[in-house]
Amino acid sequence: MKNSEQLSRLLITVGLLIVIALPFVARSVDTQDIVEVHARMAESGGWMPGTIQAQTGIPLYLRLTSDDVMHGFAIGQSDNPAVDVLPGKITEVTVAFDKPGTYTYYCTRWCGPNHWRMRGTIEVTGNEMPSSQAINPPLYIKLNLDIDTPHLASATPAVIPDAQRGAIFSALLPDSYLLPDYYLSHSPAQVYLDVQVDPALATLSNSDLWGLVAYIWQSNTTPEGLTEGQRLFAQNCAACHGETGNGDGVFSADINALAGKYPANFSDPASLLGAGPALLQGKILRGGMGTGMPSWGPIFTNQQTWDLVSYLYTFQFK
Amino acid sequence: MSKKQWFFAIFVVLAGMVIVFAPLPVHATAPTQRTFRVEASQYTYSPAILKVNPGDIISIELISTDVVHGLYVDEYGISVTADPGQTARLTFTADKPGSFRFRCNVTCGALHPFMIGKLQVGPNTWLWRASGLTVLAALAILILRPSPPKAQVT
Repeated sequence: MKNSEQLSRLLITVGLLIVIALPFVARSVDTQDIVEVHARMAESGGWMPGTIQAQTGIPLYLRLTSDDVMHGFAIGQSDNPAVDVLPGKITEVTVAFDKPGTYTYYCTRWCGPNHWRMRGTIEVTGNEMPSSQAINPPLYIKLNLDIDTPHLASATPAVIPDAQRGAIFSALLPDSYLLPDYYLSHSPAQVYLDVQVDPALATLSNSDLWGLVAYIWQSNTTPEGLTEGQRLFAQNCAACHGETGNGDGVFSADINALAGKYPANFSDPASLLGAGPALLQGKILRGGMGTGMPSWGPIFTNQQTWDLVSYLYTFQFK
Repeated sequence: MSKKQWFFAIFVVLAGMVIVFAPLPVHATAPTQRTFRVEASQYTYSPAILKVNPGDIISIELISTDVVHGLYVDEYGISVTADPGQTARLTFTADKPGSFRFRCNVTCGALHPFMIGKLQVGPNTWLWRASGLTVLAALAILILRPSPPKAQVT
């Protein structure tokens, strides 16, 4: 009788001690740093926290949730797929970084007119070499282009230039026109003026010459690049610039009310044909324009910006 | 109850069954393709009432003008989600007659639960049937009500 009483006292004491010790044990076992991130519309504060610290080689665990509407989460210039962040639900994401630097994470679902302002930074420290994209200045700076001055085309075609028509005369075209450096630094209107005075092409009509311009643009892009550009445009640009590029997206009236001008209209040949690829890339990278155009530099990879640029020209060429 | 009243009661029951089950003269319409352009904003659809005929092939173009919205059609169990700038399309055959709610299925803000619309497939026959039943019930109450007890003379 006495033994059994002592045994039961012992059991109860040990049991109590285990229960009390559990939270402490759990805390010491759970060494992973889990960062809880709350998403709110930009008007109510955006991401919280806005800055996340991480280290190269160590996975970063994120628990994402929304405090108001549906948001999305993605990290700029990375291959991680975007995930949706829903109110009342937790989305768990694990990300790892190879290279130190400052990364931008952003909202991927249109959550309001200020959706693109929903951005945060991840500061990654480590000993590896930082990624090269941050070091190389973009082409528009190397070419010393002023992306804020108006760029009206000095010549515009009577009909939409047809690359297939240009391909017929492509044998006449000197190779120097097809170099990527030439394409990137010249606007279609400049190229048109160049081919117009080229003695090798003196026999061609105006529409043939514009066809050659379209051909030069087509030969500097790939079908895959155009598909990617189309996807990026629909996802990120169409809400303001319109699904058909007419500058009449669902937010265009709001932008006009705030900034006094409408988003760029890519169906206007005078404006788009006066801009070279490097100039358009500069506008995409930097943003601004006095209209609240987002800065996409930290979001898109270099290749994605070129894909987007080549897609923009499809509003003028066929 | 008198014999007369019994006959009337049976008449009322039969008339009620006719009202409920009688097939209405449905003007046969050939199924057509219908396209609706529905603009979704916090917290309404415009237009919010879509009227179609049974068998029609319906194509709803959902255009969101502020935040991400969805459109889920009750009973049909189909849905679509539209981001601003990305028109979404929902195509289906209206093979279930009746009146159905459609609602936003993406949390779009504080009043999200109240963002609803109506899909009306075919005429709303239950409105007419219910009106008929109400009139019949009123008649029956008036005629079948028990007569007041007569004063007893001792």
